[in-house]
Amino acid sequence: MSDDPFEAIKATFFQECEELLADLEGNLLTLESGSTDIEVINAVFRAVHSVKGGAGAFGLEDLVRFAHVFETLMDELRSGRKPCDDPTVKTLLRASDVLADHVAAARGAGAPVDPARSAGLVAELEALTYGGTAPVAAAEPEEDDFGFTPVAMDLGAFEAPAGLPDLPDLPPLPDLAALAPLSAPAPLPDLSASAAAGGWKIVFRPHPRLYASANETGLLLRELARLGPTRVELDDSGLPLLDALEPTDSHLIWTIELDGDASEAEVREVFDFVEMDCDLSITPLSGDGPAEAAPTAVEAESDASALARAASSELDIAALLASVGAAPTEAPAPVAATPVVAPVVDPVAPPPVAAKPAPAAPAPVQAAPAAAAPVTIRVDLERVDRLINAVGELVIQQAMLAQRVTESGLARSSDIGLGLEDLELLTREIQDSVMAIRAQPVKSVFQRMPRLVREAAEATGKKVKLVTSGEDTEVDKTVVERLSDPITHMLRNAIDHGLEGPEERLAAGKPAEGTVRLAALHRSGRIVIEISDDGKGINRPRVRGIAVERGLIAEDAVLSDDEIDNLIFLPGFSTATEVSDLSGRGVGMDVVRRSIQSLGGRISISSVLGKGSTFTLSLPLTLAVLDGMVVGAGEQTLVAPLAAIVESLTPSEADIHYVGGVDPVLRFREAFVPLVDVAQAMGFRDQPAALKGAVVMIVETESGQRAALLVDAIHGQRQVVIKSLETHYRHVEGVAAATILGDGRVALILDIDALVTAKRSRTPSRSDLQMAS
Amino acid sequence: MTATVVLASVLDLRAAEPLKGELLAARGQALTLDGSGVERLGGLCLQLLLSAIRTWRADGQALTFINASEAMTTQWSAFGASPSDLCA
Repeated sequence: MSDDPFEAIKATFFQECEELLADLEGNLLTLESGSTDIEVINAVFRAVHSVKGGAGAFGLEDLVRFAHVFETLMDELRSGRKPCDDPTVKTLLRASDVLADHVAAARGAGAPVDPARSAGLVAELEALTYGGTAPVAAAEPEEDDFGFTPVAMDLGAFEAPAGLPDLPDLPPLPDLAALAPLSAPAPLPDLSASAAAGGWKIVFRPHPRLYASANETGLLLRELARLGPTRVELDDSGLPLLDALEPTDSHLIWTIELDGDASEAEVREVFDFVEMDCDLSITPLSGDGPAEAAPTAVEAESDASALARAASSELDIAALLASVGAAPTEAPAPVAATPVVAPVVDPVAPPPVAAKPAPAAPAPVQAAPAAAAPVTIRVDLERVDRLINAVGELVIQQAMLAQRVTESGLARSSDIGLGLEDLELLTREIQDSVMAIRAQPVKSVFQRMPRLVREAAEATGKKVKLVTSGEDTEVDKTVVERLSDPITHMLRNAIDHGLEGPEERLAAGKPAEGTVRLAALHRSGRIVIEISDDGKGINRPRVRGIAVERGLIAEDAVLSDDEIDNLIFLPGFSTATEVSDLSGRGVGMDVVRRSIQSLGGRISISSVLGKGSTFTLSLPLTLAVLDGMVVGAGEQTLVAPLAAIVESLTPSEADIHYVGGVDPVLRFREAFVPLVDVAQAMGFRDQPAALKGAVVMIVETESGQRAALLVDAIHGQRQVVIKSLETHYRHVEGVAAATILGDGRVALILDIDALVTAKRSRTPSRSDLQMAS
Repeated sequence: MTATVVLASVLDLRAAEPLKGELLAARGQALTLDGSGVERLGGLCLQLLLSAIRTWRADGQALTFINASEAMTTQWSAFGASPSDLCA
């Protein structure tokens, strides 16, 4: 967490935004699929509203302006005044894209939003909101007339309030997550009462700032009415005559009696984001609540903001305690003596000057939602990685201990041996649990794709439907993050090159709208991502022709269908005769393949002419551990990734032949595969290994080529912790990474592809490999 | 002599300033406010209209709403403002 509490809260806001935007898009897609569920529309409204509220607190004007227009239309939709039809949802989807751009721009993570695009969507949204009649003010050209005044955060409010008495010997703070519903205006001992049986009396006086930050009393009243029957009383006694009335001043006071069983948290949620811009008092209707004063400018502080402030600054302990009602007896008398009433009156509050402009929390902690949401905490990734590293060390240490025990001649059935077995199980369990912390559903990547498909479809003039499945499939965070680019590229490719235009499709007897499927699934300890389209499939003669033209293959080369399909992964291959905006950005499929391979994955393609193509990515679930085969080669211990090994065998002299008398090949199941002497290739020895006693592993490269690796012995199969060689040393050809074995020695993990390719393309540079040994 | 002001369809923050101008310009005479096109009524414009009612009353002039749209009457009442003001 940053040292600057303001920045920290802002960072939290942007994290929240990401989730909100994801929810927003998800819900809009549900609407697009034909749902008319009012709850979904409500959820969209709430997401936009929350983004706007937080943005207002940080003075992000552009974002607030756009969100406001968006929100206004959503309000029309959920009230049923405007139909939520298909064209509207399509516009909303595009608006959500622009909203995301505004968020990214505000965060400094994206390019500034194209003003024309944003203004265009504002116009579209307003046209939908007002049924084509532009609102009166829209005619005014100056955007400044919007009257938006950013609500500045007062940084001073984060500083320790002057005169805050020391609170010695504080009792341990209660679990923050459990606090949310606790500050109900119930008598002290009953901390759990969050719902008032008899409803609530809400006295609400907006400040001018509330309107200036694009909020609206009417909306709030309507929100309250959704919680139950309301009686609204308007006090306009303070209203001056017209000439003395500043149009942006606020003189009205509302008293709302809300019946029903809404909880205080629900009521407060309505006033989320405006609570600092109004006087607010919420008391139970049942009568014997504490006599509430008229809503003087008491800083009504919601649970959320109190918690946020306390959690972020860790300074406002007194306020936190007061809001919990768990004031220690040692604390200054007023805290202990005052029954907690709502609004929370903080007896040790900072002086009014500091308290007045207290910041509206950008909802880092949402008011307790009605449904039991899974309890989560945000943890710095660095901490998780430190933990993972430590567990990696634990695994290694455990393996070393086991080896020592074996070496010391203790029986496995001895007490120490048995204890060690338990330790091993436990270690494995801890390791799995820790890895699970880093595991994330691929949803975060998949959710970005509908937008991409929309934009790609727009750019190409094709009609495209994206169908996703398996969004909840989990994989390591690093893998998730690095999946985004390849998937983006392949989807663009599928739309740009795979799918035909609407006319061509209709002529081929297909629906005008093409379908692109994006699926994720677990298969044998790996994650598989499939991207398929129902387009024209790979035109093999054309692909072959291009490959010949570019000099990638010989004119008379005999290639299988698969081999032709795989030509598109070759560097320098691009079937687009013209560079298109979309996928022809100089990034070929070879780059996709390389990025997948760098993750220890492989990519394959299958295609049926006229029916479509399917790209399949297969990736390891984590980059931290690897199932490997421990082998010996030339006095060295090496690890070969298990996923690459097809089988192992003991070769006989008769099976080995030499191409041109130099390059050895192994006869394997009526085929010849290149034979690589690992120790020699790695530079561990100059002479070829003696075949007697040697073992061969048949491996398959990412591109599906087979090869035979000759090693001296196979020691066994083991899960190893991957240590990057690049971080600690430098990249070494033929070596993917390193690990530490049970005996404490470093073992290199083989890069099968590099070994085999190096064998095929050139004689390995001796000097390079000497370094590795 | 009676002045007539046709209320804008959206009476939100942005409409408040112009509305005040229009109302003040009609000061000193009977005023008819045509609410037929009102789709949205916000707190600030509500405040202006309530103040106008009070001001015209103080001036001894008539202020009448005509053709208030359904949206206007609904939102007027939702604010807790007296429906009779709207009908008078």
